[in-house]
Amino acid sequence: MAAKQKLMSVRRDWRERDVRVVLVALIIAVATVATIALFANQLQRTLVSSASSFLAADRQLEAENGRPVPQEWIEEARGRGLETGQMVEFSTMVFGESGFQLVSVKAVSDEYPLRGEIEIQSGMDDARQIVGAGPGRGEIWVNPRLLRLLELEIGDSLEVGNLELEITSLLIREPDGGFRLSSLAPRVMIHVDDVAGTGVIQDGSRVEYVYLFAGAENVLDDYYQWLEPQMEPSHEWEGVRDGETFSRSLERAERFLLLGGSLAVLLAAVAVAVASRQYALSQRDTVALLKTLGLSSKGIGGLYLRRLALWGIAGMVGGLLVALPLFWILVQLLSDVLEQPVDFYLDPTALVPALFTALVSLFAFAYPPIRRLRHVAAMRVLRSQPGETGREAIPDLIIAILAVFGLVWLYAGEVALVVSLLGGLVILLAVLALLGGLMVAALRRVRGGGNAWRLALVGLYRHRQASMAQMAVFAMTLMLAATLILVRSSLLDDWQAQLPDNAPNHFLINIAPEAVDEVEAFWVERDAPLDTLYPMVRGRLTELNDQPVQEAVTKDERVGALNRELNLTWMAQLPADNEIVEGTWFADGETEGVSVEAELAEQLGLIIGDQLTFTIGSETVTEPITSIRTVQWDSMRPNFYMAFPPGGGLTDMPSTWITSFHLDADNKVALNEFSRRFPTVSVLELDHIIERIQQIVRQVTQAIEAILALILAAALVVMAAVVSATLRDRQREGALLRTLGGQQSLLARSTMLEFALLGFVAGVLGVLAAEAAVYALQVRMFEGSFRWHWQVMLPIPVISALLLAFFGRWQLRPVLSVSPMLLLRRLE
Amino acid sequence: MNQMTDLSTTDTSPMLRVTDLSHRVSLETDTLTILQGVSLEINRGESVAIVGRSGSGKTTLLGLLAGLDTPTEGTVSLDGAQISSLSEDERAKLRASRVGFVFQSFQLLPALSALENVMLPLELAGMEAPEVRAKELLERVGLGERLNHTPRQLSGGEQQRVAIARAFASDPVILFADEPTGNLDNRTGQDVSDLLMALNREQGTTLVMVTHDEHLAARCGRQLHIEAGILTEPELAREQAN
Repeated sequence: MAAKQKLMSVRRDWRERDVRVVLVALIIAVATVATIALFANQLQRTLVSSASSFLAADRQLEAENGRPVPQEWIEEARGRGLETGQMVEFSTMVFGESGFQLVSVKAVSDEYPLRGEIEIQSGMDDARQIVGAGPGRGEIWVNPRLLRLLELEIGDSLEVGNLELEITSLLIREPDGGFRLSSLAPRVMIHVDDVAGTGVIQDGSRVEYVYLFAGAENVLDDYYQWLEPQMEPSHEWEGVRDGETFSRSLERAERFLLLGGSLAVLLAAVAVAVASRQYALSQRDTVALLKTLGLSSKGIGGLYLRRLALWGIAGMVGGLLVALPLFWILVQLLSDVLEQPVDFYLDPTALVPALFTALVSLFAFAYPPIRRLRHVAAMRVLRSQPGETGREAIPDLIIAILAVFGLVWLYAGEVALVVSLLGGLVILLAVLALLGGLMVAALRRVRGGGNAWRLALVGLYRHRQASMAQMAVFAMTLMLAATLILVRSSLLDDWQAQLPDNAPNHFLINIAPEAVDEVEAFWVERDAPLDTLYPMVRGRLTELNDQPVQEAVTKDERVGALNRELNLTWMAQLPADNEIVEGTWFADGETEGVSVEAELAEQLGLIIGDQLTFTIGSETVTEPITSIRTVQWDSMRPNFYMAFPPGGGLTDMPSTWITSFHLDADNKVALNEFSRRFPTVSVLELDHIIERIQQIVRQVTQAIEAILALILAAALVVMAAVVSATLRDRQREGALLRTLGGQQSLLARSTMLEFALLGFVAGVLGVLAAEAAVYALQVRMFEGSFRWHWQVMLPIPVISALLLAFFGRWQLRPVLSVSPMLLLRRLE
Repeated sequence: MNQMTDLSTTDTSPMLRVTDLSHRVSLETDTLTILQGVSLEINRGESVAIVGRSGSGKTTLLGLLAGLDTPTEGTVSLDGAQISSLSEDERAKLRASRVGFVFQSFQLLPALSALENVMLPLELAGMEAPEVRAKELLERVGLGERLNHTPRQLSGGEQQRVAIARAFASDPVILFADEPTGNLDNRTGQDVSDLLMALNREQGTTLVMVTHDEHLAARCGRQLHIEAGILTEPELAREQAN
């Protein structure tokens, strides 16, 4: 092999320690980013498909104007390879032998549900069954309450409009039901082809056409791109993210993964930058010699550029070789946690960020110091030249910061994230510079002696430049790791708080006022006390400041809330999870005013003092807005857009009561008895949904733990790389100290102390910077409130001190085990 | 380039001509003068030793003569080329084709074998069949059996032999040696300097050497004494001392 080629051989390079560090850093970078990207991708798919079942599809198109959408829209979707399905929802009277009842009909096509399952029972006391399709033609599935109300049995027939349908099953749970309390009439499900036969739907009927779509995300997105310009205001495209309940959980999980990915990028950048600078320093002699032998600066530049390219390829290939099996293991872990097989999904596009990161890491972080090799003086072969002062590295630093900014931005797409992280880093570096100056000044006074502490302090001073650089890198690494740990714990705490084990999982709706006490007593006896009971009055918002609301609000601002009846309530106490953002809550005994939910107020442009008029049955009520409050829609408790004070405008209106409560799985049989005693009360079983959400949280938690472990491992390697950067100098010095009569134990102790001090200070700084970054992130991104995290933070400086002491002792190993003479010769 | 080739074939002009050369380095507070008003000529085929105390400026002078650095003032012309006015890359090109080096600390690339170290300048100069020539030279310096050993596997003397083979590999017209025996014991140093002088004679190369070693200096045709950056012929210096 020609010598020049051999100079560029990666295999040859691998034998050099510094190159090994660069390559390992690169491989870790690519592996971490690729694993995170692949896993995040997989997780998202799993999450979305979990969550999709709540829509019975991946997307829904709702037409609230009572007209079907053009058939070609559906054809187009099918043409693009999407699965489609259809539902028609309306209310009507049904007639049984002993009476009639208003029901809410859901007519579904054969494909329903595209996602999720339906739960039915073939008799009151039969086991529940899971099925993948709705009723066939001529069949009707009914809510158990309807059977009781009309004194019917399975097998009886029920008239819906002009059509007589046979009751074949009890409908217990539908995948896309349960979140809207607006329809209080019992649910029945029929086949969509029977709708026309009923003759119920006439022009002007209140009917909603819903179309279901399922397929690949990008196809769905493309389809929506095509569809959107043709949609009318009454059409609504709903995806999982628009859903009410876990949109926030999903969003936070995504953000966390992105944050993790960004931190991995930062860590990779730090590792590559440190290692390549070290490498460049070690290459100066070689470059000087090559120049002396007649290689031009251009030739040198080309030589190292090709070398970098080779490293890049080696790093990418190596990184992917690590990432793929790792990803496979994570997916297996995921399916263990979910107790269900997860279809292994490898998205090649998820690898692009990793490869791109490798290139940017190489060219923004590794290349600048290596590029400067061209300027090494040939004279260096004869005598050592003034080394780098660090000033020439300032442009590198600017390039590096810009590159980090760009990468994180590209990766997380969140300016706030980038600014928080970089802000934290800048503060960290500023504090570090200040502290470093103070420390150097303080240490200058320390004189050496036979004491390990003194030797350690003198050591810190002697290596002040290297120590400061190492401290900066350690502090940065620890900051990134600590940020992640902090965000993770507050995220998990938040979720835990949101859905504790005893979260309400059943709703009771339609309780007659006179039955309230009896219902409450029933559940107290069975050890499942009810949450607060709220009266519920159905009414429409009709006027705003004495003007019809349809005129007062421009068309763009018209929201669903205006088109349907709202649930109004009265309450004395503000619910614990509501928060007043404007105005004041009703004082004791106050009977005037209404409190409005904040989002609705914003959409309608409502302000304190506006007069709202509601039409309730044939009556109207007008009250001024006295407060605006936020509501936790995902709290699994009754929530209301409009709340009146007790004794206020709603007092004499016809009301029913609503509440939620927690019922253990083994206590569910009590529901049968309850239904028999209170046949008119609707029971909404949300335990499946809650379980599902808790499952999602478990998935995300698992993912977060896995990614955290990965990043902490990367951080560890970065620290090891940085410590080993000064390995040779340290060993030479250690050998010299031993030659001069230093005792092995003293040397070992002082080195460990020196590194422990370094680690401790870096740990404290890193933790403080992490708190600063988390403060910004928490407030801006995760919408949480900030608090100090002593219990998480305290161990970090200690662990970092121990870890570095260990690294320090480890790199001193050859110095302590070999005779000083041999060592000095070897290090020559 | 043509002109330079012409000059190298005619033996009349000196190989090295230095006129009024001064070199200063700026330190943080003031400027340090390392060389002051050096003028000299070295003829083709001549062997010259530069001697002087540590810190007298001899290594700096060698670097300037070889075009590794440029002087603050004055001119250096090597083989007819004004190297003090050439760009760094032009000087590198000149070095690749005409200049050989031997260093005190050998300066072999640890990653390459003995053979590859010798091949390197041949490849850089774009010569054909570098391996044949490199092997020939390694055999000439007595290392024909150790072609594939890396510097780490060779003793100091052997490493310096590899370095000498490398220095002569590209058929330089001038060879610069910086304390070639400085890192070797007496006996080995003797062997290495024998080899260096012998090859120099065989190839008809001009030799400029910095050394402490009086015996080695004595084997050169001429000695230049340098003291505190000022050049004196040794005879002159001795007279002054007397």
